[in-house]
Amino acid sequence: MRDKFIPHLSSFFVWRRLSNMTTAEFIQNVLNGISIGSVYAIFALGYTLVFSILGIINFAHGAVFTLGAYFTYTLAVGQFGINGLLSGLNLDLQVPFAMALLIGAVLAGLVGVLLERLAFKPLRTRGADSLLALVSSLGVALVIVNAIQYLVGAEIYTFPSGVYGNIKPAMMFEVAGHTVVIRTVQVIIFAVCMVILTILGYVISFTRLGKALQAVAENTTTASLLGISVDRIILVTFFMSGFLGGLAGTLVGTSFGIAGPYFGVTYGLKGLAVIVLGGLGSIPGAVLGGIVIGLAEAFVPPDYSAYKEAVAFAFLFIVLLVRPQGLLGRSHIQKV
Amino acid sequence: MDDFLQNNGFLIVTMVQQALLAMSLYYPLMSGQLSLASPGFYALGGYVAAIIGTIEYFAPWRDALGWSIFPLEWLAAGIISGVLAVLVGIPALRLRGIYLALATIAFVEILRVICLNLEITGGAIGIFGVPQLFESRWSYIWTFGPLLILMLFFSYRIDRSRVGRAFKAIREDELAADAMGINPTRYKVLAFVIGAVLAGVVGAMSAPFLNTWNARQGTFDASIAYLAYVLIGGSRSMWGPLLGGTLLAALPEVLRPLKDSRLIINGVVLVFASIYMPQGIAGAVGRIRNFTVRKFGSARSEK
Repeated sequence: MRDKFIPHLSSFFVWRRLSNMTTAEFIQNVLNGISIGSVYAIFALGYTLVFSILGIINFAHGAVFTLGAYFTYTLAVGQFGINGLLSGLNLDLQVPFAMALLIGAVLAGLVGVLLERLAFKPLRTRGADSLLALVSSLGVALVIVNAIQYLVGAEIYTFPSGVYGNIKPAMMFEVAGHTVVIRTVQVIIFAVCMVILTILGYVISFTRLGKALQAVAENTTTASLLGISVDRIILVTFFMSGFLGGLAGTLVGTSFGIAGPYFGVTYGLKGLAVIVLGGLGSIPGAVLGGIVIGLAEAFVPPDYSAYKEAVAFAFLFIVLLVRPQGLLGRSHIQKV
Repeated sequence: MDDFLQNNGFLIVTMVQQALLAMSLYYPLMSGQLSLASPGFYALGGYVAAIIGTIEYFAPWRDALGWSIFPLEWLAAGIISGVLAVLVGIPALRLRGIYLALATIAFVEILRVICLNLEITGGAIGIFGVPQLFESRWSYIWTFGPLLILMLFFSYRIDRSRVGRAFKAIREDELAADAMGINPTRYKVLAFVIGAVLAGVVGAMSAPFLNTWNARQGTFDASIAYLAYVLIGGSRSMWGPLLGGTLLAALPEVLRPLKDSRLIINGVVLVFASIYMPQGIAGAVGRIRNFTVRKFGSARSEK
C-alpha cells in the first residue's frame, strides 16, 4: 500500500521515496520534527544571545535548561521522591501550569543573571582568556546539576497527564489510508515556541532595548560610547538566555518527563550543534538550525533509532567541512 | 611498604594514568587550542586493546606472541587514534576560535553512540575479561610510570624545539605566527595528533588494568574532568597537567567523607580556580618562585 502522493521535486521527497515511506509517515515525521525542532530553536537561542554579545559559549546553559524544568515541576506538582535531601516532601503548591511555566522560566532567567555575575563577570573585568570562561561556566553547570541531585535525587519526575488542562491527549487524522497522530503536547510546545520567537523577534528588531542589544553585539566599545549601558545589556541578555533555556527545559519535561539531573546535558550538547549549523551568533540561524536538526532526527529510520542521538553531531561535522560559517552566519574576515 | 602498595596500588596507578590523560590535553593547549577529544581517543584505544585481547580472530596471535601482544596493542591504538585525529583535526583546525572544542565534543558523542550500538564493542554492556598484563594492580605502574617519564622528557624537549616555539607562537597570536611563516593549521593538527596518540595509548594500557571496557569510559563528563586537571594544574608548563592530574584524581578519595556534596565542591573548585588561579597551581608556584628570585637574587635568569 505505497501511495503515490507528492511524487515530485525537492531532495526531501527523493529521500522519502528512497526510504519507502508512506505519505502519512512522512507527515508524521515532519510534525514530530517541527515540534522538537522548535524547542531546540528556543533553547539554542539562549546560547546565541550570549555568544553574539560576549563571543563566548555558556556551558551552563544545559544545566539552566534542567533547572527550569525542576522549577516548574516544583511549582506545578511539588511532589518529591525517595532520594535526596528533600525526599518525601510534598509542597502541593498547585500553581496553574501556564503560570508555573512562566515563573519557572523567570527563575531560570534569574539563575542566568547570577551565573553571569559569578562566573563570567570576574573574568571579563580582568580581561582573562576566553577558555577560562568556558571552564568557570562548566563549573557552575557541575554545581547546579549536582545540587539538584543532592536535593531531589536522580530519579525520573513526570508531569501528570492533565497538566495542560482538560484536553484530549492526542488528535488523529487520516492521510491516504494511514493514521497520523498529533500529541496535544506537541502542538502546545510548538505554539509556545512560536509565541516566544515572535515576542523575541519583535523585542530585538523594534524596541530600544533590542537595538541597544544589537549595538552591543556589533561593537561593545562603540555602544558604550553611544551611551548604552553595556553591563545592563549583558545582564538582560543572560536573563533572556536563562529564560529561554528554562522554558525549553519545561517543555521537553512535559513531553518526555524529567529524566534526572543530567537530562539537560544531551540537550546542552545538541544545542551547540544547532548554533554551529545555523551560524555562531546568528539569531535566525539558531531557529533554522533547530528546526533542521529536529526534522533530521525525526526522519531517522526506526531501525537506526539508536543512532538518533548522533545526528546533531554529524551535522556539526558536515557544517565544519562544507560551510564553517553555518547556514545563515557571516564569514569573518580576519583583521589585524 | 609492601602492604601500602597493595592497598593503595590502584589509586596510585590511577593518579599516574590521569596525569597522562591530562597531558594529552596539554599538547593542543600548548598551541592555544582547546580539545575535548581525549576521552574519545582514550575509549577508542581501550576498545582496540580489549578487542585484540578478547575476540576469537586474534586468538592465534595471542598464542604466538604471549605477553608481547600488549606493546602491539599500544602501537595499534596509537596509530588508529593518530589517523582518526588527522581526519577530525583538519576540518576543525582550519578555523580559529571555539570550533575545535565544539568539533571534539561532537566527536566524543558520535563515538560514544557508535560504541553503544556496535556488536564488536559489546554494546551497552561493553567488553569483559580483558586479559591482564600483571597480577597485581600496583604492578601496572611499570607500564604507566615509564610512559609518564617518557612524556615528561618529550615535553621538556619539545618545549625547547622549533616545534614547541611554533606552538607557543600560535598560542600567543595565530595571525602573527602565520605572517612569520609558520603554517598554523599544520602545527595545530600536529599538537592535536600528539595528544590523541597519547590518549589512545593510555586507553590501550588501561583496558587490561581495569579488566573491562565500555562506552562510559569516553563521555563529556570525562572531557570536563581532564580539562579541569590541566587548567587547575596549570596549562603553561608540563608540570601543570602532572600536578592537576595526580592531585585531582586523588581528590575524590580525600573528599570521601563529604559523600554526596563532593561533586558540588568539585564544581565550586573549578569556578574559583578559573577566576582566582588563571595560571593554575604550577603558575602560582612559578609566581612565588619568581617573587623569591626577585627578592633574594639569583644568578640564573629563567627564559
